[in-house]
Amino acid sequence: MPRPVEHTVRLRSGNQMMAEGAIQAGCKFFAGYPITPATDIFKTMVDELPAHGGLALSAPDEISAIAYCIGASMRGYKAMTATSGPGWALMIESVQYALMTESPLVVSLVQRLGPSTGGATQGAQGDVLLAEFCTSGGYTIPVLCPTNARECYELTILAFTWSELLRMPVILLSDKETGMTVESVNYSTLPMMTSQDRPTNFAFRTHGEYNKHQRWGTYYFDAGHEIPVFAPVGGEKKVTATGSAHDKQGRLQKNSPETIDVLLHLEDKLRWRANDLAVVKSDPQSSARTLVISYGITSRAAEDAVKDVRRKGEKVSFLSILSLFPVPVKKLTKALQGIERVIFAEENINGLYRSVLERYCNGRKVSGVNKIGSMITPQEILSVILKK
Amino acid sequence: MPKVVEQEQTTIHSSYLVDNPRFPFCKGCSHTTVLRKLNDALVALQIPPQDVALVTDIGCIGLADAQFKEIHTVHTTHGRSTGFATGIALADSVLAKGKLKTIVLIGDGGAMIGLQHLVHAATLNVDVTVLICNNFVYGMTGGQGSGLTPECFMTATTPDGNIVPPVDLCEILKHSNAPFVARVSALDPHLASTLERAVRFKGFAAVEILELCTEFAVSMNELTGKSLVEIAEKNNWKVGQLEESHERLTFAERFALSKETVLPSDKSSREASVKVTKKPGLRKPVSIMLAGSAGERVQSAATTLCQAAIRCGLQVTQKNDNPVTQGSGFSFSEMWLSPGPVGYTGIEHPDIVVVTSEDGLRELVNQRVFDRLGPTSTVYLDETLAPPADVRSICTVPFRKILGTAYAAIGALVLVAKLHRLIDDQTLADTLNVRLGEQVPLLLSKVQQLEVSLLHSPTP
Repeated sequence: MPRPVEHTVRLRSGNQMMAEGAIQAGCKFFAGYPITPATDIFKTMVDELPAHGGLALSAPDEISAIAYCIGASMRGYKAMTATSGPGWALMIESVQYALMTESPLVVSLVQRLGPSTGGATQGAQGDVLLAEFCTSGGYTIPVLCPTNARECYELTILAFTWSELLRMPVILLSDKETGMTVESVNYSTLPMMTSQDRPTNFAFRTHGEYNKHQRWGTYYFDAGHEIPVFAPVGGEKKVTATGSAHDKQGRLQKNSPETIDVLLHLEDKLRWRANDLAVVKSDPQSSARTLVISYGITSRAAEDAVKDVRRKGEKVSFLSILSLFPVPVKKLTKALQGIERVIFAEENINGLYRSVLERYCNGRKVSGVNKIGSMITPQEILSVILKK
Repeated sequence: MPKVVEQEQTTIHSSYLVDNPRFPFCKGCSHTTVLRKLNDALVALQIPPQDVALVTDIGCIGLADAQFKEIHTVHTTHGRSTGFATGIALADSVLAKGKLKTIVLIGDGGAMIGLQHLVHAATLNVDVTVLICNNFVYGMTGGQGSGLTPECFMTATTPDGNIVPPVDLCEILKHSNAPFVARVSALDPHLASTLERAVRFKGFAAVEILELCTEFAVSMNELTGKSLVEIAEKNNWKVGQLEESHERLTFAERFALSKETVLPSDKSSREASVKVTKKPGLRKPVSIMLAGSAGERVQSAATTLCQAAIRCGLQVTQKNDNPVTQGSGFSFSEMWLSPGPVGYTGIEHPDIVVVTSEDGLRELVNQRVFDRLGPTSTVYLDETLAPPADVRSICTVPFRKILGTAYAAIGALVLVAKLHRLIDDQTLADTLNVRLGEQVPLLLSKVQQLEVSLLHSPTP
């Protein structure tokens, strides 16, 4: 009998794992304001970031917190903050500023029951559209959504990679249940990679005009999908950062052709890479005609329901989506092949994410399992699956 | 052979403004003067341009960024310029250990929106110089009144004269521990040297510059350059150097000191890690609810049980609940102990329910737990509690009497773990020793006492 492998296991909450993932990713700056159910991310960063050479501090409010983070990012450091719905509402202006200035930033949004103050100690999945559609102009913001503590760690590292490579804000969307439930996490099998860094190497631009004319611009690109090389405020290259519409040099312009190009580029740089950003867990069952789709905490109940349904001899496929935006169209389309009925399970009244994916369901029967005030149970999803 | 010494050519910065600047301001607007004097200050200081970050707010003064060459410029959202500047300065001073000089140009409108940011920058004492260009109105949007508009002033929103007195921004900042505060007229012949001292100052420096908005404030109120100081006096605003202290350490300095003087300790919030070598004994998942009162270590008891569970190779989830006030009322934990991964973390039909106090019982009744018991569910109720009606399979146990309030919860869970063979005795003892140390032998003997009394009591 082979000796069992000795594993290190810890009891950790999703919030704690998000903070640990951030530290592993190379985050060096965290400014926060406490808010249930996100406070433990802040606390863990305050406790652990200094030992890794970083700075975690209290801001007097959420607007200060995110402004400090964006400032630190402009200075060249990976930065993060964490909040819930009411705090997110205050941060939206600054998220747009990070988008417009192409500043990498990770924001953790741990959802709670709304609207307004709502229920601090009650989970929900009601902010998914508020997280995504928070910009004037409707720009696509990457939104990642873990279902358990381990994924909180992994997706946080991924969030930093995307935010650095794309030079834009990335949202980590979880909720009270995922954030505050403590689980056994096997540390021996956690990935040890750090996140990638924003492009700072001018030499890599080996083609065309750049080398010929030694052109530098805070937001310089040739083709719209290219990521401008980053220079920190305080570094050798002069930075001209602005939240106003601007040309590739960062100069305020009204609607010159170059300014419009820059505005289009803010979307283009993400669209061009959208397929690479797709993260899903697909569990198709051959000849199944029903597909259950879910995300976040509800995915766990959906997965249990799907197991129960299959035990009863019925066929059903399952798709758990971890990258909510940009919508993983290719993987969704693949999962929909052969499917006649789609069931979306999410903990909000109106089927918020369902409303986004419905357009891809092309004539299939679409229904939702929706509830607020407590987690959707496997039984609730099962009864909809089995209902003919 | 004589050594050839290379002489470093030091660049002299003759101007930080663009060549032939064409300021976008109205004729007579004192913003032009302020920018020229700021340039004079920078020239006097000869700071390398890459070590200067000019952060501008929204409004006419916000357009200043385009007037400078070579220095870093960051044009931000309204009122938030000081916030972004603070982030830049914190990262530069603490993380980069750099020498960046961060200067904020903000109007009276921005200063009031971002008063929180000004105050916090002052209390942090980050190396940021804030120049509040106070022309008493929101110029860019048509001359509306601001929080710094003097009484009786005519503005677009106070056509009959302002009836809301302005605040004294410099006093607010002085009382926020700002080490450098000055108020000066834009037409003061010594403006450049005031700005030079403010920028040179190591730490937070605020200069409120009284200005003329020729388009609105001047046209509606018969102002001249001389009026600026008169307005200040009428509002009891002191003009001049109001504070200058070199005693306060900057945030970066204090931060570095705090790292040195505090003994390194493991402030980590980590739970102990556990090396798992065993295979789990349980064959199928078991759900446990534990309900008691806040302050009776209910949630830590649940954590202890979960620690023991992972020690013997089980996977666990633990969900805690308590009123928002945290220190009073009920305390509740739901646990899953499972040989495989746990999906849904809620408990629809609990296998085991343990109740150690009245608060806990009330919460379980509220959640209708007793309506959801399965055919094999077992309930353990403290003997002081009245059993809910129509519930079979209740064991009443003198948890509180035998174990005391501090150990009722952990003792109850240890009892339940033994009775239901959830976790072997050795693993339980090992875990308890880590978490409770000296108390363990007494605790285990009391649990044994309970175990014995249960075996002898009539089963319901």
